[in-house]
Amino acid sequence: MSEAGVKDIQVPSGKTGTTKAYHDLRSFLATLEAEGQLVRVKNEVDPEEIGAAGRASANLKNGPAVFFEKVKGYKNPVVTNVHGSWANHALMMGMDKDTPVKEQFLELSRRWDLYPVAPKRVPTAPVNENTVTENINIFDIISLYRINTYDSGCFLSKACIVSADPEDPTSYGKTNLGTYRMQVKGKDKLGIQALPFHDIGLQLSKAEALNQPVPIAICLGCDPITTFMASTPIRYDQSEYDYVGALNNGVPMEITKSATLGLEIPAGCEICIEGYIEPRLRECEGPFGEFPGSYSGARLQAVVRITAISHRNNPVFENLYLGIPWSEIDYLMALNTSVPLYKMLKDTFPEVQAVNAMYTHGIGVIVSTKVRFGGFGKAVAMRLLTTPHGMAYNKIIIVVDEFVDPFNLEQVMWAMTTRVDPDKDVSVIKNCPGMPLDPSSNPPGMHNKLIIDATTPKAPEIVSRETELLTPPAGTEKWEEIISQLVKAARK
Amino acid sequence: MICPRCDTDKVEVMATSPVGHVWELYLCKTCTYSWRSTETPNKTDPKLYNHKFKIKPETIPSMLVIPPVPPLKA
Repeated sequence: MSEAGVKDIQVPSGKTGTTKAYHDLRSFLATLEAEGQLVRVKNEVDPEEIGAAGRASANLKNGPAVFFEKVKGYKNPVVTNVHGSWANHALMMGMDKDTPVKEQFLELSRRWDLYPVAPKRVPTAPVNENTVTENINIFDIISLYRINTYDSGCFLSKACIVSADPEDPTSYGKTNLGTYRMQVKGKDKLGIQALPFHDIGLQLSKAEALNQPVPIAICLGCDPITTFMASTPIRYDQSEYDYVGALNNGVPMEITKSATLGLEIPAGCEICIEGYIEPRLRECEGPFGEFPGSYSGARLQAVVRITAISHRNNPVFENLYLGIPWSEIDYLMALNTSVPLYKMLKDTFPEVQAVNAMYTHGIGVIVSTKVRFGGFGKAVAMRLLTTPHGMAYNKIIIVVDEFVDPFNLEQVMWAMTTRVDPDKDVSVIKNCPGMPLDPSSNPPGMHNKLIIDATTPKAPEIVSRETELLTPPAGTEKWEEIISQLVKAARK
Repeated sequence: MICPRCDTDKVEVMATSPVGHVWELYLCKTCTYSWRSTETPNKTDPKLYNHKFKIKPETIPSMLVIPPVPPLKA
């Protein structure tokens, strides 16, 4: 260990140098600060200023995390925008902060295949330094605030929530780690949004059919890859913890038992709130400013009763701003949505080259693929709509040729303008599952889907005329490398 | 005290500031809206609260239920 919570490891696969794996939030914040990607606000601020600062930082190119040392009326600090730039995202993976997005995607895709990497179970952890089980008051420990003007209250927008399968409670694989929004409704009471197609929605449905509560552990301020993985769509029976180890390049994460319920939680977290989702109870919740950039509306949603809060000494409350993209949540849900969709498509269509699903959690997706025969691009899009995540989220799908970089929107627009015949290449698939937070879903949770096939026609589709693509002049790649090194040297 | 959002009077103090006595946080027991005493009037004053976000208490029972409550297993 080079410093507390950080491990230097050799990069496999023939790459040179070292990378870092973080076991807690604090060690990552230290790296961000050393790299100029964290700023400290030392003056006391009003709680509701923190949302505005999150918006402001996300508006900046490669905006930093913002750490508030003193929040008016509260005891403990707050940090926001921790994942809120491509520089921070690269540092999370132990990469150079200037690493291009497609390179981060390819590295994430490579590490994805290291799954599973089992976690290390540790008997004690700093999160259990303090445990409160009586006279619980969440405001005593967490510096809570309203994020957007017409949110219905204070929200936890970046919690990693651990819950077990009610029918198979000892199953490690079926234990879920997910991020779901939570409204603070009392000193010991929260609301939770558990959508039916989310893993926790499935668990809640099983428990409520038996009129049983769902025990949960709400972990705040985890290491950055754990938070990243909690917002990644994977199969129900796969373990997020095993993926954290994979995405940390083979370094196992550390987990420990929560103080009172014994759920297995990230050992490095700052705060762990334990409690139960009450069965068969719904209560007014919301609205909340959501990732599509609009308010969700008020709905009847589930309720959590808090039974214990454990925390490190001087715990840091990590929360995120979300609003009209791009904001922190768009970085948090970008490549970790792209990679699993890519892997699912690649399983059946090895011709697929890359997937860009970074627009509003994959509501918009761009797929690049080789095309074997006429109609192939549309078939790839249809497969996307039958994947577990794509079924509900993906609404507008653009398919481009394999030589188009789906992360380069100029190239994608080139394909759209030169390859699409609106009469035959644009299709609407009616009456599909949809994302209820998308204000265009009608009724909420149902959608028509749009497929735009922007690939070059292939027989037996009628090919009206042959096209010959331009290729870069000799030496282009060499000069890209030379110029990027010159830019880097000039910034030092 | 009146809830800025639903205009009912079932309001309680949810929390007071743990350090000093610099704010109170209120909770509406009818619509679960909460607000801090130090927030701007568009969040705390029933007359200035944005009418698009107002809630009529009688509409709450008919709101969309997410997720639906499943039938009990025998």
